[in-house]
Amino acid sequence: MKSFLSFSLLLLATLVSAISSTGDRLLAVLDDVAEKATYSKFLGDLESRGFKITYETPKSESLSLFRLGERKYDHVIFFPTKAKGLGPNLTPNLLVQFLNQKGNILLTLSSEVPAATSLVSLLTELDITLPSDRTGLVVDHFNHDVLSAADAHDVLLLPVPRPARPDVADLFASGAPADTPIAFPRGAGVLLGAGPLLTPIVRAPATAYLYNPKEQAEVLAADELFGAGAQLALVAGMQARNSARLAVVGSAEMLSDKWFDAKVTKVGEKKEVPTYNREVAKRVAGWAFQETGVLKVNWVEHRLNEAGPGANVSNPAMYRIKNDVTYKISLSQWDWDKWTGFTVPANDDLQLEFSMLSPFHRLHLAVDAAHSSPEATAYTASFKLPDQHGIFNFKVNYKRPFLTNIEEKNTVSVRHMAHDEWPRSYVISGAWPWIAGIGATITAWLAFVAVWMFSKPADARVVLKKTQ
Amino acid sequence: MSATSSSSFDLLASGGRGKSSRTLLRVVILLFIAGAAIASRLFSVIRFESIIHEFDPWFNFRATKYLVSHGFYNFWDWFDDRTWHPLGRVTGGTLYPGLMVTSGVIYHALRALTIPVDIRNICVLLAPACSGLTAFATYLLTNEMTTNASAGLLAAAFMGIAPGYISRSVAGSYDNEAISIFLLVLTFYLWIKALKLGSMLWGALCALSYGYMVASWGGYAFITCLLPLHAFVLVCMGRYSTRLYVSYTSWYVLGTLASMQIPFVGFLPVKTSEHMPALGIFGFLQLLAFLDYVRSALPSGRQFQIFLWSIAGSVFLIGLLGLVVITSAGIIAPWGGRFYSLWDTAYAKIHIPIIASVSEHQPTAWPAFFFDLNMLIWLFPAGVYLCFQELADEHVFIVVYAVLGTYFAGVMVRLMLTLTPIVCVAAAMAVSQMLNNYLSLKSPKPEDHAVVEGADVTATKKKGGLKSTNKPVVGIYSLLSKGVVVTSMTIYLLLFVLHCTWVTSNAYSSPSVVLASRMPDGSQHIIDDYREAYQWLRQNTKDDAKIMSWWDYGYQIGGMADRPTLVDNNTWNNTHIATVGKAMSSREEVSYPIMRQHEVDYVLIVFGGLLGYSGDDINKFLWMVRIAEGIWPDEIRERDYFTPRGEYRVDAEASQTMKDSLMYKMSYYNYNALFPPGQAQDRVRGAKLPEVGPTLNTLEEAFTSENWIIRIYKVKDLDNFDRDHASAAAFDRGHKKKRGGKKRGPRVLRVE
Repeated sequence: MKSFLSFSLLLLATLVSAISSTGDRLLAVLDDVAEKATYSKFLGDLESRGFKITYETPKSESLSLFRLGERKYDHVIFFPTKAKGLGPNLTPNLLVQFLNQKGNILLTLSSEVPAATSLVSLLTELDITLPSDRTGLVVDHFNHDVLSAADAHDVLLLPVPRPARPDVADLFASGAPADTPIAFPRGAGVLLGAGPLLTPIVRAPATAYLYNPKEQAEVLAADELFGAGAQLALVAGMQARNSARLAVVGSAEMLSDKWFDAKVTKVGEKKEVPTYNREVAKRVAGWAFQETGVLKVNWVEHRLNEAGPGANVSNPAMYRIKNDVTYKISLSQWDWDKWTGFTVPANDDLQLEFSMLSPFHRLHLAVDAAHSSPEATAYTASFKLPDQHGIFNFKVNYKRPFLTNIEEKNTVSVRHMAHDEWPRSYVISGAWPWIAGIGATITAWLAFVAVWMFSKPADARVVLKKTQ
Repeated sequence: MSATSSSSFDLLASGGRGKSSRTLLRVVILLFIAGAAIASRLFSVIRFESIIHEFDPWFNFRATKYLVSHGFYNFWDWFDDRTWHPLGRVTGGTLYPGLMVTSGVIYHALRALTIPVDIRNICVLLAPACSGLTAFATYLLTNEMTTNASAGLLAAAFMGIAPGYISRSVAGSYDNEAISIFLLVLTFYLWIKALKLGSMLWGALCALSYGYMVASWGGYAFITCLLPLHAFVLVCMGRYSTRLYVSYTSWYVLGTLASMQIPFVGFLPVKTSEHMPALGIFGFLQLLAFLDYVRSALPSGRQFQIFLWSIAGSVFLIGLLGLVVITSAGIIAPWGGRFYSLWDTAYAKIHIPIIASVSEHQPTAWPAFFFDLNMLIWLFPAGVYLCFQELADEHVFIVVYAVLGTYFAGVMVRLMLTLTPIVCVAAAMAVSQMLNNYLSLKSPKPEDHAVVEGADVTATKKKGGLKSTNKPVVGIYSLLSKGVVVTSMTIYLLLFVLHCTWVTSNAYSSPSVVLASRMPDGSQHIIDDYREAYQWLRQNTKDDAKIMSWWDYGYQIGGMADRPTLVDNNTWNNTHIATVGKAMSSREEVSYPIMRQHEVDYVLIVFGGLLGYSGDDINKFLWMVRIAEGIWPDEIRERDYFTPRGEYRVDAEASQTMKDSLMYKMSYYNYNALFPPGQAQDRVRGAKLPEVGPTLNTLEEAFTSENWIIRIYKVKDLDNFDRDHASAAAFDRGHKKKRGGKKRGPRVLRVE
């Protein structure tokens, strides 16, 4: 019985480790628990991936993100709620604290329900701006679904999100069919600040814009325009310095069962095509909940790359100036359910800095096949330490959008030459004249002493006189 | 001990006649003097505890511990990565190892004798132990000056208890001076001995002692300059002799070789200006010896001699000229800043604020002479005068030393230390001379003198001199005058002992790590904030947490808290110190990147406002500003820290720059909370503080000691969401950010 229990616990543990890299406790905050039927497929997908979902309403008294200072949940999903505030258990400060403790948040907006003030404050802190009425409707007169929104133009059909820059990891579009659109029904958009932590995942087409259907139905003054075109992010991600993630999905409806199965038709086309929503929902949630794009450092090793004592010591605390040194780092990437080796993209470079106050070396880290395995890829660089003593850091600072921040710092001291580590004088050719000079002086002195000792004083009287 | 004292009484009773009994008596007296010297230095141990004092001793103590635990060669090659972060310090090559090695040898010797002693106790008691030896060395030196043995004993007694020397050698004051004053006096003794005998052996011994001195203290330059000066003066007086040649040459060659073995000194003896006089005199003496030989070899001819002398002079001049040229070409290092400040006391204040900021580099105030030397200071000229009367080679040394020592002691407070030995020697000579004349009951008889005078009358007349010396009979006849003089002298001597004891006990026996104050009922209250804070650091921070503080506390943090520091009392890198000064005196937004770059984890400051402790960082703050201004004159200006009327204030009237500076904020952060609203008071500067205290965004308070003397702040990490610290802190306090609206000016668009 006991062994069975431990076996099942082990099984459970493996199951747990097969979901998200950080944990499986997921809290879903909805207006009404019954509402979850609307998103049954999305939530079912999450459950099938191993998440244990707790459903709560903002008013619930049992709702609390922390217990005894520790997180109660690893991830939170916010579905649109009608209440203006979210109550004392979900204040912006608590949400910031949740992120600070490496919790992840997936946040959905809607054009019909204004976002809760607490979420708006949270987003404002993160430099993500919502329209001043806490909501808005994104419309596009050229890229909408003709079937469902022929008049309102408020169901956008968007291409699969390709990376915005070459150095951004392609987590959301890889393997997607060429022209399956994402349906974005009745959603709001946000503006992202210029900070490096924020990255748009899906951006609005150039012809899309956001307006408030209640106040701006008739006329939209140019200076009142909140955002248009690519500046509007419909789905956006924020990764904090501690790699906690927050994703904003502009349209909660997009995650509903209805739009998972819907067929849509683009403007000017007749063909009805299925949406890509289910896959995108999976990938966005997977990214937010640390299922993809998670990197980890398995080990770091630096050692002396020269013969002599200490050559076999791994990670010594002290080197000497001008030592030859090898640095190795092993990286893995969590890919939904397993760790794989992390390969740096071809147009990117993993670099090692050797720095004191400022970098003395910045080197390319090459793949070290000998120490790599399917689960981990090792990178290595060998170099000569600078001719400067001090306290240095081996630093790998690899921060890319959508990938876990890697900031690995290993401090070592670099000492000066010890008194017996210099080359001996007879090895230095420049010293030979001086050595010869010493030899000549010694010889001459000995010869002089010998002559002096064995020569008889010429006249004792003169010697006496001299000593006076 | 009682046996020896009783036997010494017997000896006294028998009048101490006979050579061997006199020797025994002297040994006993010297032992008593050494005992008194050691005992009077133990006040601090009795009052407080066996603890290392002040600042520099903490480094020496730490280095000694390293030496004892890691062995000599590791100490020699020690790279200390816990100071001067992130530069580190090549400690083995930048210290004078004599002190630590001495303690290490004593430690291991005691271990070998199976006496387990804590290394700390050896360090604490090394200085008193050496003071006993110094007294003995002074005895030897004085005996070389006069045939009167009582002068030597008096000098030893003076040296044993003179406050000028005690100030640097109380128990716990584990500094280089502790051992090197003994070596200084010993070297002088051996030099005089070598000069008198013209002996290579004594010259070599002198060189050995000099080598030990070089290994122990940077003040060895005093010997390096004094001995050549003495030799030069002797030559100028026409007293060149083979004795001088032999003793000087053997001292210089062997001593220089010995000094070059110390890594910190290395090639300085042939490269820096401070060492050039010794080298120059060495060459000069060779020339003189050569000319002397030529003169003795050739038949005498006056013109030839003049010719030779002119050659000597021109060679000397050419050598001097060459020295100037080489110096200006930069091959020989020009005089250092500390050296200039020896001649112009205002020099450091203008050019090197870091030197001027040290209180012991200030010029000496007049009362300090009396405070440190008491009656010796007025007996000193009398002793020098007595030297003038005899003026043998060794007396010239006293005169030269007296002149040089007095000047330097007047320029820099800490150099009082080098003056003290000569004052003791000269004063002892004067006192013993006086007592010799007045203490003998026998009155001189005129007829005894008449015979002598008659035989010598022509010689006296030829000598001329003072009128009184021409009088046929000199002596003291009246018992009354003898009694008065001897009694008053005795009273002076007793007062001197009283003064010395009082000064030692009141002024020089405070460890300054622990402060003592009096409770209203008169009982002693110990203020132990320093150690409380250092202990907190030791127990609550990571082993490699970097502590930023002003450099005064660097050694203590390293020694007591065992944490890496940015700067410490070894002020070799002005820029690094200025960096810390800039971080302390700038706004938070400027300081934070500096602290991040230097990986600072904690900032430690000293604040005396609550207790009225005046040696705190706000009072040192202007030095930080000045030193930082020296490097960044565009960013830090001293003027900005004063009010428009030129006052240095900390209250509501303080200038904005002052109020924004990190030091001000750290000092007064949360200070208001101690007082009823609006009544916060700074008791050092007697200022009423503004009602609203400063806010800190990039730092958070980590620790404040019992009396608020030490405050420690933790440097916050970068904000998790890339906000600036001010808005992050505002958010944590509950202020919601203003919603981004139209009033923010042109919108920043994302470009990618």
